[in-house]
Amino acid sequence: MAKTTKPPTKPAAVNESISIAPEIKAAPGTMLLKLTGINKSFPGVKALKDVSLEVVAGEVHALVGENGAGKSTLMAVASGALVAEEGTIEIGGEPLTPGSPREARRLGLAIVRQDPALLPDLTVAENMAIGAGLTKNGGLKRAPEWAQAHLDPWQMGIDSRARVSDLSVEQRFVVEIAKALALKPRILVLDEPTEHLNKEEVQRLFRRVRTITEGSAAVVYISHRIPEVKEISDRITVLRDGAVRGTFPASSVSESEIIELVIGRALDTVFPPKGKSIKAGDDKLVVSNLSGRGFQDISFSVKPGEVIGIAGVQGNGQAELIRALAGVESATGSVTVSGKKLRLGSNSAAARAGAVYIPSDRHGEGVFMPLTVGENIVMKTLRAVSTLGIVRDSWINKVAAAQIDRQSIKTPSTRTPISSLSGGNQQKVLLARTLLSEPEVLLAEEPTQGVDAGARVDIYQIIRGAADKGAAVVILSSDGVELEGLCDRVFIMSRGTIIAELEGKNLTETAITTAELTSTTVRKRNDELRSRSTRFRNWMRGDSSPAAVLGVVILAIAGVVGATNGSYFSPFSLNAILFTASMFILIGAAQQVVVLGSGFDLSIGPLLSFLVVIASYFVIDGGNIFVGIGLMIVAALAVGFINGYLTTKFDLNPVVVTLAVALALQGTLFTMRTVPGGIITPAVTDVIFANIGFVPVITIVAVVIALLLEWALRRTRFGVELRAVGSRIEAAERQGIKTKKVQLISYVVTSFIVMPTAVILMSQIGIGDGRPGLSFTLTSVTVVVLAGASIFGGRGSFIGIIAAGVLVAQILSVPTFLGLSGAWGYWLPGGITVGAAILYAQLRRLRRK
Amino acid sequence: MFAKTSDPNSPAGMRMESLWRRVFSGGQAPIWIATVLLFAVSPLVAPGSLKYSAVVGMLPFAAVLAIAAVGQMLVIQQRGLDLSVPGMMAFGAALVTGLSQWYGWPLWAAIAGAVIFPGIAGLINGIVVTRFGVMPLVVTLGMNALLLGTVFALSNGTPAGAPQEVADFTKGEWGIVPNALIFAVVVIVIGGFISQRSIVGRKLTAVGVSDRAATAAGFRVKLYQTMAYALAGVAYGIAAILYAGYVTTPPLFFADSYLLPTVTAVVLGGTALTGGRAALISTGVAALFLTQLGQLLRAVGWQESYQLIAQAFVLLVVILARAIVPMITRSVRARREVARTAVTSA
Repeated sequence: MAKTTKPPTKPAAVNESISIAPEIKAAPGTMLLKLTGINKSFPGVKALKDVSLEVVAGEVHALVGENGAGKSTLMAVASGALVAEEGTIEIGGEPLTPGSPREARRLGLAIVRQDPALLPDLTVAENMAIGAGLTKNGGLKRAPEWAQAHLDPWQMGIDSRARVSDLSVEQRFVVEIAKALALKPRILVLDEPTEHLNKEEVQRLFRRVRTITEGSAAVVYISHRIPEVKEISDRITVLRDGAVRGTFPASSVSESEIIELVIGRALDTVFPPKGKSIKAGDDKLVVSNLSGRGFQDISFSVKPGEVIGIAGVQGNGQAELIRALAGVESATGSVTVSGKKLRLGSNSAAARAGAVYIPSDRHGEGVFMPLTVGENIVMKTLRAVSTLGIVRDSWINKVAAAQIDRQSIKTPSTRTPISSLSGGNQQKVLLARTLLSEPEVLLAEEPTQGVDAGARVDIYQIIRGAADKGAAVVILSSDGVELEGLCDRVFIMSRGTIIAELEGKNLTETAITTAELTSTTVRKRNDELRSRSTRFRNWMRGDSSPAAVLGVVILAIAGVVGATNGSYFSPFSLNAILFTASMFILIGAAQQVVVLGSGFDLSIGPLLSFLVVIASYFVIDGGNIFVGIGLMIVAALAVGFINGYLTTKFDLNPVVVTLAVALALQGTLFTMRTVPGGIITPAVTDVIFANIGFVPVITIVAVVIALLLEWALRRTRFGVELRAVGSRIEAAERQGIKTKKVQLISYVVTSFIVMPTAVILMSQIGIGDGRPGLSFTLTSVTVVVLAGASIFGGRGSFIGIIAAGVLVAQILSVPTFLGLSGAWGYWLPGGITVGAAILYAQLRRLRRK
Repeated sequence: MFAKTSDPNSPAGMRMESLWRRVFSGGQAPIWIATVLLFAVSPLVAPGSLKYSAVVGMLPFAAVLAIAAVGQMLVIQQRGLDLSVPGMMAFGAALVTGLSQWYGWPLWAAIAGAVIFPGIAGLINGIVVTRFGVMPLVVTLGMNALLLGTVFALSNGTPAGAPQEVADFTKGEWGIVPNALIFAVVVIVIGGFISQRSIVGRKLTAVGVSDRAATAAGFRVKLYQTMAYALAGVAYGIAAILYAGYVTTPPLFFADSYLLPTVTAVVLGGTALTGGRAALISTGVAALFLTQLGQLLRAVGWQESYQLIAQAFVLLVVILARAIVPMITRSVRARREVARTAVTSA
């Protein structure tokens, strides 16, 4: 193979400000991606059969085929995300080690998937910087301008400083494309890129695609939409059932020829006779003006005994529609079952009305995996196998055995765990469960996905049987053959609306596929969702906004308490509050670090006590202070390492690990100091108690530490990676971040911050006593929750921690000034923790709407 | 809005598990074996530790732990973790003692209050978790402080004595068997029956196994989850009454030392921290195991503080074993598969 590398033949003639041309130039026609003899199977399915594909520089190579034809699998293999059993991959002439996405990226392959690998809690600029490897392009400091330059050509109104979670779906997709282009790839893989774009945006995408192919890169373009494929691509490869059906120059084939190749198979499955018992008269299921996430204004009705099919290219609102009918997702409009209006958005109301839902995610939502076949079969009809609320196992077995026999489910016994059955038999168990509950409305999503041919026929019989008994059946399927053979009527959905209805003679697979593939509807866009980026609004949505709210609360409380008790504003009491606040700021910051990475540390309080006890042996008059401080540091680091190692290395629950470590520490420290002892030397305490005016120096130090942490969180590689891990760990992993290492370090940092806190605490109590430190675990959680951090990780600010630390110190001093009982010492921290958690959870929910 | 790409790798992990892996990675058999072994070696380690007086002195504490652990188990079954155990038990004990001594409630009312009020606190936990979407950990940690404050306020800082009837009952014996043990066995057997055999119990299990599958099946998922937290509160209340009766005047915050043992007992009993099938009876056995282990360590002269270390150690070892054994099985299986392919392709 001739491979030449020479300067670009012509400069990319575009008005765009920033270059997206590949760094390594190749002459047009040079082989850039070569896949040879790829075989890949998943349990029960051969996904790719001896697939070979060649993509050359300067071309747009389209990959077309039905859902499940193997297009995405092939590109996952090419990008190193999946490992094939057989076959070789060459990128730009160099062989790719199978299963190494980082190497594929280094060789110049960038992939834009249907599901963007973005980190929702980070800004657009940070996401793009991580994609580009963080250090390039001026690093994090210059990332906003650099990212903005890449986004502006899209004219989507995306602010690179905005948080990804605040973007609309189509904006996120554009960010994902811009991120891939910023890598200046030699081969760009676009997987269904136009699903979320409107006409104008599609044209903008096509202009960008042409720009990069003119710059001698290649684009692999995966799509269902044949008209768009015809427009953009130079060559087209058709995949069907995991095998290549041919590669053609785009100009030499017509739309209908492509569709023929995409379908290319005869009706070879036996289907039960259609609609013999559709009952005239009242409709069983009436849907009118139903709108929800992903679909709008859907109206149709189904008669008893009728089987309705819903078709459409994946991601056009079909799944959301059927889930809304089942009450699993919320919707507006009206749904009537057997004449009774359904309460929307309630799964139990739908179930009571007789609507039964069979989800497509069989493992996650369908069967109860660890339970037995028998338990799964009767799960919806427990009452029928019980007397007085007590389940009879013998009845379960009888009912289950009858179903196993009737639906020909292949299982050793009713007591076999359902996880050991094949996909087809699991699906039959689900159908048996459904039939036992005698559904009025049967809602099935991809009922034969991942099911072998034999079981398919059985499943069709079962579904038609349910209809013949008088149920209204709605089936969502991406298999045209199935829809043609099984359904009485088929609705085609595109971009959230029904665009066609087929019935009788017109109901053929070709008609379905043609309608799906040639649709050019434009998705109704809610333009309100676009981020209107004013400075104030951005700040309010930012991590630091709770700090200002807390500041107001602090002043309000000070006002009320000060009015009741004048001594509150004396330098002495302010000094005392600020001194306590220094510990709360540090302890909150410590918890915050680990929470940012979706961890949790219950050992903070006991570690604090443990360090104080260690100090009480060395940091005393006549003791070696430096040995003491050194031991405290070593102990803190060791505890952090143990916490982090156990949680990350063995995937253990952080709460349980740190709880056990906490109690082990508690046991150790009470063994060392059964009663308080060891007076801390004034040489240290005097330093800690130093003041500037009424402000303790140590509080200033704590604030400075928190500010440093805030800076590190925004500006350093570790800070961004930590937030990335906390935000969405699998996306962070896909971006090449070493998530375990990041989490391990976060535990160590957390414990390390406890060390200075221990120095302050030991000065305050003055003696080696383990008790006062223990309650600091709760305090650290209170501070973190008040600071408004998402307790699930990913976002938070240390400026919020400073405000929250001061507020908690202030609140805990209130009982003293108001003469309240000791109970308030518990009620206040407990109450504010729960109250603030509820408040922030509600705010977040509102913000999402 | 994005199209779902089904994960094709998942069915691979769904093959039948081998027996030994099931036993060591979450089954209930090990705790029964371990308990029998522990009692077998007890007389060798500390002569006299199986004497009647020693066993009878230990059993009431095992009973208290067993009932409290059942509460923790209900929450863990729903993939939560209840950090409010110390507050709940202190609350229950303060109610049963204080309501009768300070507030003059009749005996039945004090007992009912000590069961119902912790149940209401549990209900609040459940509502905040399911309706407001707050992490269980934060809710129960905050609730713990709220309850401790309430205990303080109820008792004015001074512990009260248990009603005479309660003390007499819990310290009494029926033949040679302590009443506390009989009581605990009855509670656990009834609880086990409800959990394993009733419709409610089956649905609790289903929701714990997979809340998504339960949602798709039309179950009232949030209701069942809330119920688990409320029932946990009831269990802590009952455990607290038993404890208060047996020690007569329980210290205000006696239950701080019960948090970790409840978690350990649940984990030892074979309930996975990832939720699902609950092992109620085995949890009770695990409580017996932990209490006897503590007794034994005390008999050989370990201080109370060592006990904490021992409990933490047991918990870490068990969760580590549950994590490591499947890892080893997986790598062994992978190696075998490699060997097999090498043979077939040769």
